[in-house]
Amino acid sequence: MRLPVTNIQYMSTHDGPGLRTTVFLQGCPLHCIWCHNPETSNDAPPLFFTQSLCIGCGACAAVCPRGAQIVRETMRQYDAAACNGCGACVSACPTGALEATAKEMTIEEIIALVERDRPFYGKAGGVTLSGGEPLYHLDGAMALLKAFKAKGISTAVETCGVFPNSAAEALAELVDLFLWDYKDTDPARHKKNTGSDNRGILRNLFTLDQMGAKIRLRCILIEGVNFDETHLCGIADTYGRLRHGVGVDLLPYHTLGDAKLTRLGRPPAGNRDWIPTRQRLLWAQRFLLSRGVPANLSEFG
Amino acid sequence: MEFYSVLPAGRPVRLCEATRRFAYESLQGKYGDAAMETPYIPLDSIPGFAAMTDLEKYDCAIDAIARKAPVRLCEQEKVCGAATLGGAIGHVVPASFGGQPIFQSVSHVTLGFDRVLREGVTGLRRAVETSLCAEHTPEEKRLLESMNRCLDAFTVWHGRYLDATKTARPDLHALLERVPMEPPRTFHEAVQSLWFLFAFTRLCGNWSGIGRIDWMLGRFLRQDLESGRLTLNEAREILASFFIKGCEWIRSNTPPGTGDAQHYQNIVLSGIDADGKDVTCEVTYLVLDIVEELGISDFPIAVRVSPDTDARLLQKIAEVVRHGGGVVAVYNEPLVIDSMLRQGYSLKEARSFANDGCWEVQVPGKTYFIYEPFDSLAILQKQTLKLECDHPAHFDNFEALYRQYKADLQQKVESIWQAQMNWRLLSKPGETPVRWRPMLVCPLVSLLTEGCIETGRSYYEGGPVYTVFSPHIGGLPDTANCLYAIQKIVFEDKKCDFDTFLQILKSDWKDNEALRQFALSHYDYFGNDNDEVDAIASRILSDFADVTESKYGKSPVLFPAGVSTFGRQIEWRNLRTASAHGHRRGDILSGNFSPTPDSDHSGATAIIRSYCKAPLLRMGSGAALDIKLFPTTVEGENGLCAIESLVRGFVALGGFFMQIDVMDAEVLRQAQLHPEAYKTLAVRVSGWSARFVTLDREWQEMIIERTSQGVN
Repeated sequence: MRLPVTNIQYMSTHDGPGLRTTVFLQGCPLHCIWCHNPETSNDAPPLFFTQSLCIGCGACAAVCPRGAQIVRETMRQYDAAACNGCGACVSACPTGALEATAKEMTIEEIIALVERDRPFYGKAGGVTLSGGEPLYHLDGAMALLKAFKAKGISTAVETCGVFPNSAAEALAELVDLFLWDYKDTDPARHKKNTGSDNRGILRNLFTLDQMGAKIRLRCILIEGVNFDETHLCGIADTYGRLRHGVGVDLLPYHTLGDAKLTRLGRPPAGNRDWIPTRQRLLWAQRFLLSRGVPANLSEFG
Repeated sequence: MEFYSVLPAGRPVRLCEATRRFAYESLQGKYGDAAMETPYIPLDSIPGFAAMTDLEKYDCAIDAIARKAPVRLCEQEKVCGAATLGGAIGHVVPASFGGQPIFQSVSHVTLGFDRVLREGVTGLRRAVETSLCAEHTPEEKRLLESMNRCLDAFTVWHGRYLDATKTARPDLHALLERVPMEPPRTFHEAVQSLWFLFAFTRLCGNWSGIGRIDWMLGRFLRQDLESGRLTLNEAREILASFFIKGCEWIRSNTPPGTGDAQHYQNIVLSGIDADGKDVTCEVTYLVLDIVEELGISDFPIAVRVSPDTDARLLQKIAEVVRHGGGVVAVYNEPLVIDSMLRQGYSLKEARSFANDGCWEVQVPGKTYFIYEPFDSLAILQKQTLKLECDHPAHFDNFEALYRQYKADLQQKVESIWQAQMNWRLLSKPGETPVRWRPMLVCPLVSLLTEGCIETGRSYYEGGPVYTVFSPHIGGLPDTANCLYAIQKIVFEDKKCDFDTFLQILKSDWKDNEALRQFALSHYDYFGNDNDEVDAIASRILSDFADVTESKYGKSPVLFPAGVSTFGRQIEWRNLRTASAHGHRRGDILSGNFSPTPDSDHSGATAIIRSYCKAPLLRMGSGAALDIKLFPTTVEGENGLCAIESLVRGFVALGGFFMQIDVMDAEVLRQAQLHPEAYKTLAVRVSGWSARFVTLDREWQEMIIERTSQGVN
């Protein structure tokens, strides 16, 4: 079995407790308008292109079997429709300006890479599956989690909560911590901004909670999109109903996804007006703390 | 009054306002500026001075310094004694003749302060007198008599502080009535004793390390806490004076250079004693409390860590490290001890290790140490590949290339050994007694180094129990990367034939930007846990150690291998040619044992994995790894956990010495633009930390450009 891996990030300190290795998988059932990892969406192109690294040598055009890469007078042009993602251009590019957005890897290959950092995991750390939506590849993700469990490596999954409810029992067994992207409270707004409403997601959340799974809510706050008192009340209410909640992270929206969109050859979609001020974030944290929710906010803006 | 931290929440406050003010003023240069008002004590009026022997001149200099150096008492200090002559900041004995200093001073040493804590200065005096009664050559007698003159001078200086404190500071006066002449009875006396002796050696220009301060002071604090004589808070205030006074050489406007805070005042914490007992105690934590609060970078601190290290200590290390400044580094204690046993030290001696100026391991109070750096990359480029000749070398395969490199490397190390032996020893190899070449006079340092009193021989001339001379390999990761790039580009991937490739390097990659970019970006170089390239680095070190270890037991001089650049990558860059891993002549390449800048894209843990594959056990003098982290990586509870995990992993994988700095390139840029606002911002430079604003532009740029390991 192979999985499309966009990145294996060692030394992660923001994706669960301790020092972790985060495995990012491509593929996601949602289409959030604020997506920070556009290379993991289902329709992401197969290539990143970094203009500043391109020296216009034409090596990509010379090897492309389908004429998707054209270099004219040192300017590269790319025909996404013609590209079949064979990767010949990536190997030929001398500067690393062309990179594959994802690499197909076997379960064994992924495990071997994660195991390399085992001396650093200690009691708290381990592996985190992220994406995209790692459970989008449910069988592959389960196989990975089983293998990590068997090797005694602690597991975390960062999920948007979209997966078959029938999988919850097995997941509760295999995952030591869920990092649950709690995107919005209002179902209509959730559907409008992510492409799906949140009823099934909430059902999965409470099913897992009933099974004793540890869950940390991760709440992105986007000014003018979901950052209002109703949503904060929703966070407090949902967290309050969890019996195995282990805290809430408040994550401010940022526009860093634009850098990736540019490298994917897409127009920037970031909106600076959506970035919440430090003041507002501190207000949100206080709001939640006053309702008994252990809300965590990064020291850095 | 803020002490810089990379964390927005800042540093904790435990010390009282007056102590913090004292620290702030010291760090802003108040006392360093005062010292520059009297840089030297002039010796011109001494009759017949010019005709004296060096030893007589030295005696006069120390005597004059003791009599005439300004006495300084600070209102807030809890221990007294001060190195008030500015010339000492420049590494000379601060006494002049005709306007010029006469003697260089000594550094890269940790003196035997523990002996004075056990026996008092009177004990030293007794030892010198006893030795004088034994059989010695006239030269040896003269040295011993000079040591006595040093003790006389010390007594004069001590007397001046007794007088000065009598009415002004009766509390300090009471301490000085006992110490350091007699052994201390309390923690306060012990700190005063240690500081006073250290201050005198500094006053006379020497830059000594402190060594194992928790081991030396721990028993005094334990007794005082148990008897209720002292609280922990009171002890922290007393010890803080020691650290603050250690900053007395910081000036408000240090001329930019390699950083002001590098007087090699090294401190080693925790670990086991000669009998294998853990020395970690409340002093260990007080030291860490103090540097955590004040951000003092002038005492580089290294903590010995092992698999048995207490979780509390690891957390404390992490708490200090994450404020940035790189003040606290770690040794992997079991590996260091094993590497010393391999060199022939006894188990008790090995367990007693501390260090000199940076991280070179030595037995404190018993060792003369010096190292000689060489550039392994220049050897590859100039000797093996002959890139500066009209006709560069040719090799048909990688093994042939490596064999030649190995020969060139080993010949270099052999020649370093021969040159040193010829220089240091007048006697022939194997001849007894060993005769040492007379060197710089330094009776004061000899007095405080075990072996010198007993033998009547000087610190530089075989007096100490151990004389250590260490060749240090520099540019190692780059050399491994270069060899690997040639192996791949030429011999395996056949992107280019050997001769053409060497011509391209000779031309500094002229008109070959695509190939240069390919070399830069297509291979995983040292620091990415790539077994192929890491194996080349290990192989080079093994071949290096084969030569150094062949000298063990063959001479009174120990010859351990070490890895370092100590920032020399800056001066070396123009002495190198283009490098096969995609770098042009003039690029600043790797420092110490760290990856080539920008070549490490797999995170800090991968760097540690690469580094730990090397035969570090055979690097008796040490091999330092620098790790840089982003502030966001280390924030919060989890950030602490991350640093602890890095240290635990480093120990588990068998590292030697690791220094972690936390910094943000953007903040450093701001500090370049507005130095006045960042006077207390410290960064790890190499084996030392320095205030960023005292580094010159090239050094600042090097530090900014180093890769910081963060998360995407």
